[in-house]
Amino acid sequence: MEAVILQVRMPRVVLAFLVGAALTVSGSALQAFFRNPLVSPYILGLSSGAAFGAALALTVPFLPILPSAFLFGLLAVGASYFLATTRQGVSTLSLILAGIIVTGIFTALLTIVQYLTDPFKLQSIVHWTMGNLHNANWSKVRSSALPILLGIFWLYLLRWRMNVISLGDEETRAVGLNPQRERLLVLLPATLVASSAVAVAGVIGMVGLAVPHMVRMLVGPDNQKVQPVSFSLGGCFLVLVDDVSRTIASFEIPIGVFTILIGGPFFVYLLKRGRMSYGGT
Amino acid sequence: MAIRVDRICFSHPSGFSLEDVSLHVPAGRLSVLLGKNGSGKSTLLRLLAGLHRPVSGRIEVLGQNLSELSTAARAKVIGYLPQFHYPVFPYTVEEVILTGRAPYVFTVPRIGDREKAEEALVKVGIQDLRKRPYTELSGGERQLVMMARVLAQEPKVILLDEPVSHLDLSNQSRLLHLLKRLVQEGITVLAVLHDPNVAFTCGDSFFFMKQGRIQRPGPTEAPWDAAFLEELFDTRIETVPHNGRALVIPR
Repeated sequence: MEAVILQVRMPRVVLAFLVGAALTVSGSALQAFFRNPLVSPYILGLSSGAAFGAALALTVPFLPILPSAFLFGLLAVGASYFLATTRQGVSTLSLILAGIIVTGIFTALLTIVQYLTDPFKLQSIVHWTMGNLHNANWSKVRSSALPILLGIFWLYLLRWRMNVISLGDEETRAVGLNPQRERLLVLLPATLVASSAVAVAGVIGMVGLAVPHMVRMLVGPDNQKVQPVSFSLGGCFLVLVDDVSRTIASFEIPIGVFTILIGGPFFVYLLKRGRMSYGGT
Repeated sequence: MAIRVDRICFSHPSGFSLEDVSLHVPAGRLSVLLGKNGSGKSTLLRLLAGLHRPVSGRIEVLGQNLSELSTAARAKVIGYLPQFHYPVFPYTVEEVILTGRAPYVFTVPRIGDREKAEEALVKVGIQDLRKRPYTELSGGERQLVMMARVLAQEPKVILLDEPVSHLDLSNQSRLLHLLKRLVQEGITVLAVLHDPNVAFTCGDSFFFMKQGRIQRPGPTEAPWDAAFLEELFDTRIETVPHNGRALVIPR
C-alpha cells in the first residue's frame, strides 16, 4: 500500500503537475511572444519537433533525450515562426498553417524512426508519443524537474516584459527594448520547458492553449499574474485530467488523446468566436 | 538646439528615400512637420526616434550622437508616438501606460514606476479610462493612452506622428493644450501634422517636406503664404489672415 502511494501514485501526480505547469506556462509565454492568443507548443509544432528529437534519442545510442528534444523543439518553433513571417507581420492564419506543416514534417520523421526501430522499442515509443503518464516514476521526475523549473523561473522574471513585447515591435522599440532580443529571451525558456515536458510525457496537446485562456478569464491579461497562475492552475489541471482519463473508462485512455478530444472543440470555439476578445488579426 | 540633423540620406526597402535632409529643431518649442502623404515625414520621424538608421549623415539629440546611444538610453531621452497601434490583449489602460516605464525597469515595475504612470495618466486627463480594457477604446482614446505612455517614459524630446488624426475636436484641443504645457515645462516637441490649420494655430516653428526633401519658404515668404503651400501640397489654396498668421482653405 505504502509502496503504491510512494512509488506509483506520488511520482505520477508530481509529474502530471510539472508537465501541466510546463505546457501552460510555455503556452502563455508563446502567446505573448507571437502576440497571438491562439498559439501553443502543440499548435506551433514545437511538441512534435521535441517528440521527434526524444524518439531519435531513444533509438540512437549516446544521444541524450532532453537536449535532443530541446534542439528539435527549437528548430520546429523557429521554422513555424520563419514560415509564418511576412513583411506585414505574422498573421494568425499563416501561423496555424505553418504549425500544421511543421507538425506534419516532424510526424513523418517520427514515423521513419518508428519504422526503422526494433519492435520492442517501437512499443514504448508509440505509447510515449500518444502522451502518457502511466509509467511515471521518480527518475522521470528528477530528470525533468530541473529544466522545467529553471525555465519557468526564467519566464517568471520576464513576466512584465511579456506585457511590453506583446504590444508590438514598434511599441517595444519606442520604449527602448530590442524586440528581437526580448523575444529570443522568451522563446528559449518557453521551448525548454515545453520540450522537457514532451521528453518525459510525450505529446499532450491543447493544455498549453486552453489553460492560458482560463487563466486570463480568471485574472485578466496582465502577464505578471498570468505567469504564476499558469504554473499553479496548469499543474492542477493536468493532475485532474490525468485522474479522469485514468478512471473514466475500464481501460486507461492515454492522456494526450484525452486532452486533444476535449481541447479540439475548445480551439474551434475560440477560432469561430468571430470577434476574438483576445484579439488576433 | 534640441535636434540637429545633418545631411542624412536614407532609403526604405519599399523604394522610398530621403535625400540630404538637414534641419535644426529648437529646444523647448512645439515644432511641426508638414507635407503631403508619402513625402517622408513619418520616415524622418522614425529616423529621429532611432527606429531606422540613416545610410549617411548625422543626427544629434541634445548634443548626443543618436547612433552612439544605447536603445535604453535613447528611450530615456526620446519619446515616440507611432501612428497606429493594433492591440491584441485586453490590458487595462493603466497596464499599457505602465509599459512606458520599460527603460527604467529591470524585471517588474516598482511603486515609483506606478506613480509615474499614474501622473502621466492624470496629466493627459484620462482618469476615467484607468481600468478600461485598452482593446475596447476608440481610436482617439487609444491615441491619448499612448500619449500618456510616452509621458510615463519621461522623455526630454517627444516625437509625435499624427497625434490628433483620430481625435474629435474636444480631444484634439485637449491634446494640443497638453503639448503646449509640455513645451512650457521645457520639453521639445516635434509633431507630424496633416492639417496646416492646426499647425499654424499651435506651432512655434515649421518644417516642410516634399518628395523626401526639406522645403523652405523663400526669403520673403511666410510659411503660410498661399504660393508656398500650393507648391508644397500640389493643390489650389486660399488663405485667410488669422492672428498674424493665416488659415488655409483648399479651393
